[in-house]
Amino acid sequence: MRSRPLLAPVAITAALAVLAGCGTADPSASLPPGTKKGGELVYASDREPTCLDPHNNGDMPQTYVARQYLDSLVSMKSDGSVVPWLATSWDVSKDGLTYDFHLKKGVEFTDGEPLDADAVVKNFEQIMDPATQSSTDLLYLKPYFEKARAVSEHTVRVTLKRPYSPLLTVLSQAFFGIESPKAMARGLEENCASPVGTGPFKVTEWKRNQEVVLERNDDYDSAPADAKHQGPAYLDKVTWRFLKDNTARFGALQSGKAQAIFNLPPESVPAAKADDRIDTQDFVHSGVPFALDFNTDSEQLADARVRRAVVHAADAPGIVESAYAGVFPYEGNALSTGTPDYDKTFHQPFPYDPEKAAKLLDEAGWTGRDAEGYRTKDGKTLTLRLPYASDPGETPPADLTILQNFQAMEKRAGIKVELQPQDAASMTAIKQDPDRYDVKGGYWNSPTPGVMYIKFSKETLDIDNGQNVSRDYDEELDSTLVKAAATTDPKAQQELYSTAQKILTSQAWHLPLYPVQTRLAVRSDQVAGIWVEPSEGEPVLHDAYLTRDGA
Amino acid sequence: MTTDTPSTPLAPAGPLLARLRASLPGRILVRVLSAVVLLWAVATIVFFLQHLVPGDPALAILGGAAANPPPDAVAAVRAQYGFDQPLLVQYGHFLGGLLHGDLGDSYTMKEPVVAIIAEQIVPTLQLTAASLAIAWAIAIASTLLSAGRPGLLARIGSGLEVVLAALPDFWLGVVLLVVFAVTLRWLPVVDGGPAGLVLPALTLGVPLGGFLAQVTRDEFDAASRQPFVLSALSRGARLGDVRRRHILRHAALPGIALSGWGLGSLISGAVVVEVIFSRQGIGQVLVTAVTSQDLPLVIGVTFVVALVYVIANILTDIAAVAVDPRLRSSIGDAS
Repeated sequence: MRSRPLLAPVAITAALAVLAGCGTADPSASLPPGTKKGGELVYASDREPTCLDPHNNGDMPQTYVARQYLDSLVSMKSDGSVVPWLATSWDVSKDGLTYDFHLKKGVEFTDGEPLDADAVVKNFEQIMDPATQSSTDLLYLKPYFEKARAVSEHTVRVTLKRPYSPLLTVLSQAFFGIESPKAMARGLEENCASPVGTGPFKVTEWKRNQEVVLERNDDYDSAPADAKHQGPAYLDKVTWRFLKDNTARFGALQSGKAQAIFNLPPESVPAAKADDRIDTQDFVHSGVPFALDFNTDSEQLADARVRRAVVHAADAPGIVESAYAGVFPYEGNALSTGTPDYDKTFHQPFPYDPEKAAKLLDEAGWTGRDAEGYRTKDGKTLTLRLPYASDPGETPPADLTILQNFQAMEKRAGIKVELQPQDAASMTAIKQDPDRYDVKGGYWNSPTPGVMYIKFSKETLDIDNGQNVSRDYDEELDSTLVKAAATTDPKAQQELYSTAQKILTSQAWHLPLYPVQTRLAVRSDQVAGIWVEPSEGEPVLHDAYLTRDGA
Repeated sequence: MTTDTPSTPLAPAGPLLARLRASLPGRILVRVLSAVVLLWAVATIVFFLQHLVPGDPALAILGGAAANPPPDAVAAVRAQYGFDQPLLVQYGHFLGGLLHGDLGDSYTMKEPVVAIIAEQIVPTLQLTAASLAIAWAIAIASTLLSAGRPGLLARIGSGLEVVLAALPDFWLGVVLLVVFAVTLRWLPVVDGGPAGLVLPALTLGVPLGGFLAQVTRDEFDAASRQPFVLSALSRGARLGDVRRRHILRHAALPGIALSGWGLGSLISGAVVVEVIFSRQGIGQVLVTAVTSQDLPLVIGVTFVVALVYVIANILTDIAAVAVDPRLRSSIGDAS
C-alpha cells in the first residue's frame, strides 16, 4: 500500500491571513476643504426593518430609516406644533373635519414622478388598502379618516368622520411619508425593497441582515421648514448598517467603522462619556413611558385598592435607578416628559409607601398569609402573572432587572409576582387573551398626548385587539380626550390633556417607570449636524456633514 | 479509482432496491429518491409544527405583539394568505407549491424565499467551511503534537482539548471581538472581507476543533497499540512518519464521520456568530422567521439545512473512503 499525504494541508493560512490593513482612514481625508459637501457616512442601527415602506406594518426601525428618503406633509416641533414641509400651508375647517393641504410646487419623486395632489391621495389610498398590511398608520387614521381627494393640482382635501386635532402631528411621522404613486403601484414586494420618495436620499440597495445603501438625491429641494439647511444633503452616501450586537455596534463606533450609532448600549454609556471623540445625544420619546400595565379583568386587579397597593409597594424610582444605573430617569406619569402638554404635577403620583400598601390590601380583604408569607383571601394567594418576551432584543437585560426588582418589592408587601418568560409567538397570543396575564410591560411611542385615548378608552377596548392593555375605561377620561381632539386651541388642549393625566393617574391602571429614549452616539471628530426630530425620534441625516479642515 | 464492481448486497430492502443498487445510476436514483422523501418529511413536519405554535400568523405578519392592527386588517391578511381555510387545505396548497418548486414568498419580508436564501447562503457556507477547516487544523495539530506521547505533554494536550471543546461560542465570540477587534484592532469589528471571516470562523471552529481532537486522540491512542505500528517501526520507519501517515489515518475516521454532523451543527449554530459579528447568513434568517411565524421562510431554510446534512453525509462517505481504502468495496451498499 502506497501511502499518500493525508488530507490536503489544512488552511491554517485562512486563520493567519490578512492581519494588516485594518486601521481605519479618516472618512473625510480626501474631501475638498471649505465646503460641507461630499463623503460617506456609516450609520449603525440595532434593528432591521422587515419592509422599507413604512406604510406597511409600522415598526420603529421603519420610521427611522424612512425619514432619510421620504418627506412628510408637515414637520413637528417639540412643543407639538407643526411647520411646513411638503405642504407649505393648510387650512382646517371650523368644525375640524376638513383639512386642505397646499402642496409645494415643483417637487419630484426620485423616479421623476411629480408630487401633486393626486400623488398624496394615492398615498392615503395605499395606507387604507388592506393589501398594504398596515398596522400603525391604520391605528392612527382608521377611526377618523373619511377620504382624501384632490381639489386642485396642488391642493389635497382630507375629510374626517369626526374632529381629530392630533392629525397634523400624526402626519409628521415618517410612518406617513409620501411615496411615489408609480412606485407604490409596483406592489408590496417591490415597494418594500425600494420605496421611492421625494426625500434627501434614495434607496439604492438593501442587503438583508447587513445594510441599506442610501445615495444623495441631487435634486432635493423640499426640506422641512425646521431643517438646518435647504437644498440637497451634504453627504454623497449613507450606509445604514445593522449591527444587532451591542459590543459590535459600540466597537464599530470606537474603531471609526461607523460614525454614528443608534441605541448606545446602556452599559457602554460610561465608556462613551469618557471618550472625548464621542458625543451622545439623548432624546426622550413622546408617548407613554415604559410601564407595567394592570389587567383589570383579572380578579385581583379589578379592585382599584389592590392596584394602588401594588404601585405604593413598588419603589419605582429605586427600581429604575438600580436597573439603569442613572442612565434612564424615572417617570411616573402616564405621559413621558417628551410629550407635548406633559404635566409635571403627576411625575410621581404614588410615592413608595409600604404602610399604605399594607392598609389598602387589608381593606381589600387580602388579610390572610400563606406558608411563604404571601397575602391570601378566601384561601387564595395574591398572585400576579407577568409574562414577558424572553428574547433579549425585546426585553433587554436591564428591563429584566426592572421586572425582577418589581417582583422583589411586591414580595415584601406580600404580593406574589410570577415572571413568565415567553417566546414571541406566545407573547402575541397572550396580548390577545386577557385571561393569560395580570401585569404586562410595554411602552407606546406617539407624537401626541392623544396616545392616552389610543391606549385607555372605551373605543379601543371595544376593538378588542389587546391595544387597551388595562382592559378598562373611564367615561370622564374619554370625554375629556374627545374634547381635546375636537379643539385646535393649544391652550384648551393643554388644560384638557392635563385633566386627562390627572384622571388616568387616579385610576392606577399602570405603573409607569421610565421614558423611552433614543440614544445616539456620534463620532464628533468625524461628523456633525445630525439631529433627532421629535415626532418619533427619527435621526435626520440631511443636515449631517463630515468634519474636515476649513469647514 | 474504483476497479471493483460492488457485490450485490444481501438485501433486507427487497429485490427491486437490490437491483437498483447494483448499478451506479441506480444507486444515484436511490439516493435522490431518499433525499426527496426526506425533504417531503421535513416540510411536512415543519408545516404542522409551525401550526402548533400559539398565536395567529396574521398578527405576526402585521407586527406581532408590538403592533395593534384593527381587526378587519387582520381578517384581510388571513384571507390573503388563506389562514382562514382548513389546515389540510392549506397543506394541500403548500404541497402543490412545493411540487412546482415554488417555496413561496416570505410573509414578513415579502420577497421570494428562494431569493432570500440565495442572498444569505454564501456567507453561511464560507463561515462553515472556514470553521471546519480551523477545527480540523486544531484536531490534527493537537493529536500529532501530543497524543500517544508519554507523560505531561499528552495530558496538557488532552486538557487543552477539553477546555476548547467546552468554550461556549457566544462567550468566545464576544471575547475574541473585544480583544482582537476592539482593543488590539488587529482585525475589523465588522465587515472587512476575508479578514472579517477570521474571528467568526475561530469562534465556531475552536470549540468544534477541541471536540474533534478529543475523538481523534482516543482513536489515535487505540491505533498506536495496533500491531501494524510495531511492524512499521521494525521495518525502520521513523516514528513521526508512522504517526502522521499510518496512525493518524486510522484515528481520523471517527472525526470524519462526525464532521458531517459538525457541518450541519455549524450551520444551525451560526446564528450566534452572525449576530455578534454582524454577518449575513441563514442562521439569522431562520431565527427571525421562526419567531415571526414566517412559515414559507422557515421551511425554505429548513430545506437548506436538511440538504446540507444530506450533502455533508455524502462528502464524509467519500472522505472516509479516501482515507480508508478498506471501505471502497462496501460504501454505498448500506445506506
